[in-house]
Amino acid sequence: MIRNSFGNMSIKNKYFRIIAGLISLVLLSGMGLFIYINAEQSTLDRNQDALQHKAGTINEMAVTLNEVFFRARGYSLLKSGNELQMAYDALDKLKVVLSDYSALKLSAEEASFKSELETFVDEYQNVILPKAIGFVEQDDYTSLRALASEGNTQAVNEFLTYTKAYKMRSDKQLSDMVDHSLKRTNEFTLLAFGLSTMLLLLFTLMIWRILKILIDPIVKLEAASNSLAAGEAVLLGKLHKQDEIGRLYEAFLNMAHSIQDKEEELMMQNEELHAQQDELQDQQFKLERSLSEIESMMKALDQSSAVAILSPKGIFTHTNENMSDYTGYKNSELIGFTFRLLDLKNMEAARMQQIVGKLSTGGVWSDEVELGMKNGTPAWLHMTIMPYLNDEGKIYQYILIANNITSMKNVQQKLAETLKNTELTKIMLERSNQLNHDITYTLDKQEFAEKFIEFMNRQYAFDSSVFFLVKDEITVVKGVPLANVERYLGSESGNMLYRMQTEKSYIIKRPATEREQGIAPEPVQSYDYYSTVVNAGNEVLAVFCGTRVGHSFNDEEINEIKGMMNRVGLAIERLFMYEEIEHGRRLNRDIVNNVNEGIQFVQMDGDMLQMNQALAQLFDYHDWSEGDLIPQERWTGHFIRMANESEELELFYQKAMSEHFIESSSMKYSIGKDPLKHVDMYAIPVFRRETRFGTLFVHRDITREYELDVMKSELVSTVSHELRTPLSSVLGFTELLLSKTMKPEKQLKYLETIHREAQRLTDLINDFLDLQRMESGTQQYNQEPLNLSELILGVINQYKLSVSHTILLEDEAHNAEVEADRDKIVQVMTNLLSNAIKFSPGASEIKVSLYNEGERIIVQIQDHGLGIPKNQIGQLFQKFRRVDNSASKRIGGTGLGLAICKEIIEKQKGSIGIESEEGEGSTVWFSLPVLYTSGSRHEDDPVRLNTEKEQKPNVMIVEDDYSLSLLLSEELKGKGFRVTHHYHPQQAFDQALKTPFVAIVVDLMLGEELDGWDLIRMLKNDERTEHVPIVISSALDKADKNRINNVQKYLTKPYPPNELTGTLQEIVDNIRQGTGEVLFPDSGHSGE
Amino acid sequence: MQKVLIVDDEDVLRMLIEDTLEDLEEVELHTAENGREAMNKLSGNNFDLVILDYMMPELTGIELLGLLSEEVKAATPILMLTAKAQEGDRSRAREAGARYFMPKPFSPMELLQIVEGILGDQK
Repeated sequence: MIRNSFGNMSIKNKYFRIIAGLISLVLLSGMGLFIYINAEQSTLDRNQDALQHKAGTINEMAVTLNEVFFRARGYSLLKSGNELQMAYDALDKLKVVLSDYSALKLSAEEASFKSELETFVDEYQNVILPKAIGFVEQDDYTSLRALASEGNTQAVNEFLTYTKAYKMRSDKQLSDMVDHSLKRTNEFTLLAFGLSTMLLLLFTLMIWRILKILIDPIVKLEAASNSLAAGEAVLLGKLHKQDEIGRLYEAFLNMAHSIQDKEEELMMQNEELHAQQDELQDQQFKLERSLSEIESMMKALDQSSAVAILSPKGIFTHTNENMSDYTGYKNSELIGFTFRLLDLKNMEAARMQQIVGKLSTGGVWSDEVELGMKNGTPAWLHMTIMPYLNDEGKIYQYILIANNITSMKNVQQKLAETLKNTELTKIMLERSNQLNHDITYTLDKQEFAEKFIEFMNRQYAFDSSVFFLVKDEITVVKGVPLANVERYLGSESGNMLYRMQTEKSYIIKRPATEREQGIAPEPVQSYDYYSTVVNAGNEVLAVFCGTRVGHSFNDEEINEIKGMMNRVGLAIERLFMYEEIEHGRRLNRDIVNNVNEGIQFVQMDGDMLQMNQALAQLFDYHDWSEGDLIPQERWTGHFIRMANESEELELFYQKAMSEHFIESSSMKYSIGKDPLKHVDMYAIPVFRRETRFGTLFVHRDITREYELDVMKSELVSTVSHELRTPLSSVLGFTELLLSKTMKPEKQLKYLETIHREAQRLTDLINDFLDLQRMESGTQQYNQEPLNLSELILGVINQYKLSVSHTILLEDEAHNAEVEADRDKIVQVMTNLLSNAIKFSPGASEIKVSLYNEGERIIVQIQDHGLGIPKNQIGQLFQKFRRVDNSASKRIGGTGLGLAICKEIIEKQKGSIGIESEEGEGSTVWFSLPVLYTSGSRHEDDPVRLNTEKEQKPNVMIVEDDYSLSLLLSEELKGKGFRVTHHYHPQQAFDQALKTPFVAIVVDLMLGEELDGWDLIRMLKNDERTEHVPIVISSALDKADKNRINNVQKYLTKPYPPNELTGTLQEIVDNIRQGTGEVLFPDSGHSGE
Repeated sequence: MQKVLIVDDEDVLRMLIEDTLEDLEEVELHTAENGREAMNKLSGNNFDLVILDYMMPELTGIELLGLLSEEVKAATPILMLTAKAQEGDRSRAREAGARYFMPKPFSPMELLQIVEGILGDQK
């Protein structure tokens, strides 16, 4: 930037600055030098003065010291007081000189000398001199000499010597200084000379630079001017300067450019003029040549073509020889006539108009025209008509040029015909090809037959035809009435094929039927072509019959059709083969897909060629479809990911697919979590003609076996525990009895224990054996009709004495007749009830309900016990399954009970199930089909239809006689009551609080603690139950009148059951009519 | 007075063992019918022998041993009664800290001898 701006300054400015800078530089350096030399000089002077002064002082000091001694010695000799005074004066003077000396700048040596001197002077003045004076006054010269010999005189002499030496040194120093100053002066002179030389050099440099800057461009300009003058191109780069030279340079450049431009323009104009001149000459030459060409062309034209000139109105004014040749008219016959003389074909008015229009605008018309010659022969001419226009643009004549193209036209027409024929052949070939294609690729016989018929009809112009495939009885009909076809085919196939056996094909000629004749005016003939299609073994595969109306078959066609039939025969055989193969393939596929095992076939390169549905389901892999090749990484990736033992499976696959693997091997893996499947997989190398070409993998789902295995080993451990515990007791107590002496009571207790445990062992073994028998199918069932209500009441009756639990039976089944094995059903009931008791340790009530649902009877046992976790409900009916929680483990059992129940119920056409809520209790139900015996009293019972539970009046029977209870229950149910049984007064009372009963039937003779009367008292004393009607059913006679006051009815046993129902019916009727109001207990809670 | 704890969920077996050992002199018999009860008793007292059933609901013998501290196990000899005489169960019980085994069904007299032996060592 700075350099640039400097470069752009004017030269004057620039050099003014440079010179000013230089002058100030010279001035400054000269001045600096002067000041420096001056300073040096004055320092030297000062030093010299100081040195001289010091030397003087020392000299004075020596003189004074000398004088002191001199005067002192004088005094000692003369004893003159004046001498002494003068010695003192010299001493004082010496002190003054000393103080002057000490004021000077002193070196260390000089300072010590000074202080020594001072000390000496002081000592001399205060000690030695007074002492000496004393000696002198006493004239004791001996002492005086001694004093002098003490060294005083010697010291003075040393001082004097030192002073002398110092003076000499100082003189030498002074002369050195002068030498030094002289040397300095010489140096300065040299420096001044160097400086001026440098300045001179600088000036020279500057001047040289100025010259260069000024002269160079000027020299360039001069050269450029010279070349400009010489007419050469001026090639000057731009000078990037903006000073005076720069501007001059630029101005010169501009001038040079403009001169050059002008010159170029002049040159161009000149060249153009030359070119124009050349062109003119050229044109002249061309014109001459064209003229001669035209002349020769005219000659040629005259020779080769017909040429005519027509007036604007179309009258021939000139014709040549060719014209008369082409038209058949002589020249004289043409000239003077219009062109209309010629017999032009296809020359309608519109076309003519178009031609005239084109010509009148100066256009040229040219086309092929057909015309009749004078003698009538047709001829083709290629005509060209050209109008000639005058200066005003008007047509003054036409020129007509015509060429005879008749022969060419003829050839053209022939060619077109040939082409058309070729086209037809091509179509035939295409059809034939299409058929070939069709019979090669059509795999469906029906479709094949249809295509064939279509082809025949088109190719050989059959009007109607039938094609019949013998083996598959496929018939395709085109244009033949079905009745005819049926008649022909329907006749014994022997007949149909009779002539076919001897002749492969034949033609029948017959008069056309009316339908075939159609609108033909005269009778026509029809030709029926019959032909068979046979295989190599001469077996007839198919029959073709076709009809042509009006034209027969030539030999060529017959041969072709024969060939066609051979081809069709091959095609049909191929179709059979294909179907066979296809059938085999499908069969194989179906077999493979219906196998339970997963199967896959993998090629040697690892690609999977085949897999079946079982495998697809096992691995949830649906990417493969028939004909696919799945690359190894794709399928193994998925399979390995799915398996739980991925690494093992991957290794197994790798090993099994390797070439060295030649024996089958297997592995087990599992797949999925919930459900977990166990799979046994084996691999077999597959060989074809001793060449290994793949590996077959078979995956067998062994989950069931695996679980069974696990279950069996669990069974072994369970059974061993279950059996060993009672065995331990039996053996242990027996041993104790044998080896110890004990009281009889204890012995009895031990024996009882042994007995009980042995019984438990027996039960367990029985259960095992039962189940074993049932599973092996050797269990016999003695089916007999039985009443389920009665049976269940009987079983419940056995639990009557249970202290911990009460069993309530709610029986509303109107039809409890079933056909079943009594003992087995009892076993089921017992099992279920003891389960209910076992698994409801905290609750006391178990409810058994009986009811009909459709044609089945359902028994439900409901407890309020431990309940079963949801996820274990489904497994309960399996063998050795027990509810797996601590509370139920404590209860123990074989885990076989429910499995036995299921087995029994299902063998009797029934079903069984559990609903449960953990902690709330369980409901086990089973159902059996009811047996409708004819004449059953329930059949026409009107109440039967009343299926809604709520509307059935509920009656409680409190009765401990099981058979009576059953009898009453049957009677009541028959009359449409719902019956609840109880045998314990306290429990009956509790039940009455919960359930609204229309009446309670009470037996007076009940248990030991409480009897019927107690129950009645309890009921009547409670406001919730006091209104419930009570019927007493007792063997006792009516006793206490007071007691039976609040009792509805007293029935004395034995009484006919219908008396009870009558009584109850009455009660119900009263309620319904509103006369005898029955209030239900407050809780309104139904016990169901 | 030495103390023996009998842990078995089966009432009958508990009674059998108790009756077998009742004639031992200077021995105090305690019983527990499940693992919890046994834990409670073990935490408050020092027993000279624990007779433990392998298969118990709620807390099996092995689980119970797992809950006991190492000091208690080191100080208390444990006799495991097991219906499972399989070697696997036995080694599992040994790992858990039981020193003695007796397969079910067992002979009470044999049990008596073994218990006498253990208690004699303990004195």
